[in-house]
Amino acid sequence: MAEDILSEIKKDYVLSKLRDEERIDGRKFEDFRKLEIKTSIIEKAEGSALVRLGNTQVVVGIKMQIGEPFPDTPEKGLIIVNAELVPLASPTFEPGPPDENSVELARVVDRGIRESEAVDLSKLCIEIGKKVWIIFVDIHALDDDGNLLDASAIASICALLNTKVPASRFGVGEDYELPIMDLPVSVTSLIVGDKFLIDPTRDEMSVGEKTLTITVDKNDNIVAIQKSGGYLLSESLFEEVIDASIRAARKIREEIIKYCSKIC
Amino acid sequence: MFKPEKLIFDGKRIDGRTLDQLRPIKIEVDFLKRADGSCYLEMGKNRVVAAVYGPREAYPRHIQDPTKAVIRYRYNMAPFSVEERKRPGPDRRSVEISKVSKEAFEAVIMKELFPRSVIDIFVEVLQADAGSRTACINAASVALVDAGIPMKGMLTSVAVAKVDGVLVLDPMKEEDNFGEADIPFAFLIRGDRIESIALLQMDGRMTKEEIKEAIKLAKKGAMEIYQMQREAIMKKFLEEGENG
Amino acid sequence: MRKIVLPGDFLSNNTKLASYGTYVEGERVYAKILGLLEETDNSIKVIPLKGKYTPSVGDTVIGIVNEISANGWNLDINSPYQAFLPASENPETKPGKKLNEVLDMGDSVITKVVNIDPRMKVTVTMREKICRAIRFGRIVAINPARIPRVIGKKGSMIKLIKNELEVQIVVGQNGLIWLNGDRKKISIAEEVIYLIEEEAHTEGLTDRVAEFIRRRKNVQT
Repeated sequence: MAEDILSEIKKDYVLSKLRDEERIDGRKFEDFRKLEIKTSIIEKAEGSALVRLGNTQVVVGIKMQIGEPFPDTPEKGLIIVNAELVPLASPTFEPGPPDENSVELARVVDRGIRESEAVDLSKLCIEIGKKVWIIFVDIHALDDDGNLLDASAIASICALLNTKVPASRFGVGEDYELPIMDLPVSVTSLIVGDKFLIDPTRDEMSVGEKTLTITVDKNDNIVAIQKSGGYLLSESLFEEVIDASIRAARKIREEIIKYCSKIC
Repeated sequence: MFKPEKLIFDGKRIDGRTLDQLRPIKIEVDFLKRADGSCYLEMGKNRVVAAVYGPREAYPRHIQDPTKAVIRYRYNMAPFSVEERKRPGPDRRSVEISKVSKEAFEAVIMKELFPRSVIDIFVEVLQADAGSRTACINAASVALVDAGIPMKGMLTSVAVAKVDGVLVLDPMKEEDNFGEADIPFAFLIRGDRIESIALLQMDGRMTKEEIKEAIKLAKKGAMEIYQMQREAIMKKFLEEGENG
Repeated sequence: MRKIVLPGDFLSNNTKLASYGTYVEGERVYAKILGLLEETDNSIKVIPLKGKYTPSVGDTVIGIVNEISANGWNLDINSPYQAFLPASENPETKPGKKLNEVLDMGDSVITKVVNIDPRMKVTVTMREKICRAIRFGRIVAINPARIPRVIGKKGSMIKLIKNELEVQIVVGQNGLIWLNGDRKKISIAEEVIYLIEEEAHTEGLTDRVAEFIRRRKNVQT
């Protein structure tokens, strides 16, 4: 189909530039695209954020409900991350139930939030073993110009940062701010031979869908890793990517703090 | 939501509007990079994004029509667009809205120019307020123009409701919930003329005279919205022309 | 600055003037697409600003093989429609040589549109001078509505790029452009083409393009 040939055509351009150690949009290998964040854009949601990473756009909305806790964590709230890659966002997305790509995306974002313990779930208990808050993080892709994953992760944490627990609406006390304890940042690199490009665009992805995502918490610990695509990764390149991802994550975290008033 | 005792007070509505006044509207053209045409639109608290893809090859092949393009329209609500989280995926309401909206566009798109192809119109409701279907049609219409799709003219959509016995333009949530009737319209507009009706639904109860009045009121509102759609498109392409 | 018109804008009462991008209903001529209005003494047309490529007989198009059948090749031509290149329309076809040895999946070719049937089945040929299989160089894709500007008035823009950069260029009406020559010069040419695409309907574009090329050449030498 037409869309496939257009990205096929871009491949030569990307590779030719790479031979001169350049990227087609002039960025350095370890640079993210321009990041713009708008929060509280959906009044009907408990929290929300629109993130633009270059031309990639994602909206995340947070809704909360009261439900039952898991039996093994009777005093903790729950987080459910869901992603919809709606056909509006790309000529290659199809309507229908979530496919493997949207499931993977939601799960990697979920792992970053969960493993960094970004949300203090112990503050979301209403009645031990019976009633806790359930947080729905709904990722809605609008425009996929590459690296939806990092854009979604950034939008998710930004939306959580400005979420108010709607206790009064549910008649269980007064509203309070969702307690946030960490700021995980996921950093995705496109692997091209022995090189890697952080925050790849759609055009760059034409050289092969081989990515490595490293999610880093505020203390530079790695909290999630996802190798995606059928390729073999060398140990030395893996280590290089970790170092670069930690550096890139620090920069992104600073920007998130700049945009979102609440700092943890 | 509680029913206010009166929805109209001294000729003013509970949000302060006059009976024939639209909610604030904001339109941004070419909002998305990947789509062939796109539009972001706010109408009251509605926030919607429309994208057009095509004409493109129709898959699966059996949906192809050898004489004209197939039009598809998908109205979809984000889970966080409403008070109570909506489960992702189409429900009966979305399916019906998609059908009548698609038919409205089928009447204005010159589909016979593109046999065997498909034109996809996708609209995502990020936040729903009353009249989200009208907001979506207005956004889709701009996105189609932006995609370069040949059309007889543009579609512009607005609803009229009967509230406390009087007609109001572009009802908000309370008027929609507690009013006596609601009629969403979409009109084909060419230049400065409203030519015909492309979408028409109604629920509630009205007299024949009231319906005639409602059409008049809707036409007034549609003309104002049309001017805003037009300006947004002009602005986008004039700006582009001024670069450098 | 030429006037921008939208679908449904009334253009004239003289239906004899109706030309590209317009339609007639009753005694009136309307615009059917978004575009720039161009009026002359004997025609009114709307030059599109956006839109997909729709094939027309005589067009040069660059296609990419996406299916090989018993009697020819199907080409993706960056359009709602595929094109068919019959084996007999490719001079490289030889008896005893398999079709995929002549042109394989993913190969690109420069072709001419020779026939379009009412169902938009498009047939192309390689039996013209400009046609060839592309075995080197690079293909660039842009919005097909911007192709006329890449060509320029009487080919002036394309001549400028060719002369300044000493690269070979074939422009497909379908938005695909073939570039051949020194790798670094091709890269500059590709950037120039994107610049033209971005600023297609601005004034003084030719001068800006010339300036851009000069600057980029200085950086590289």
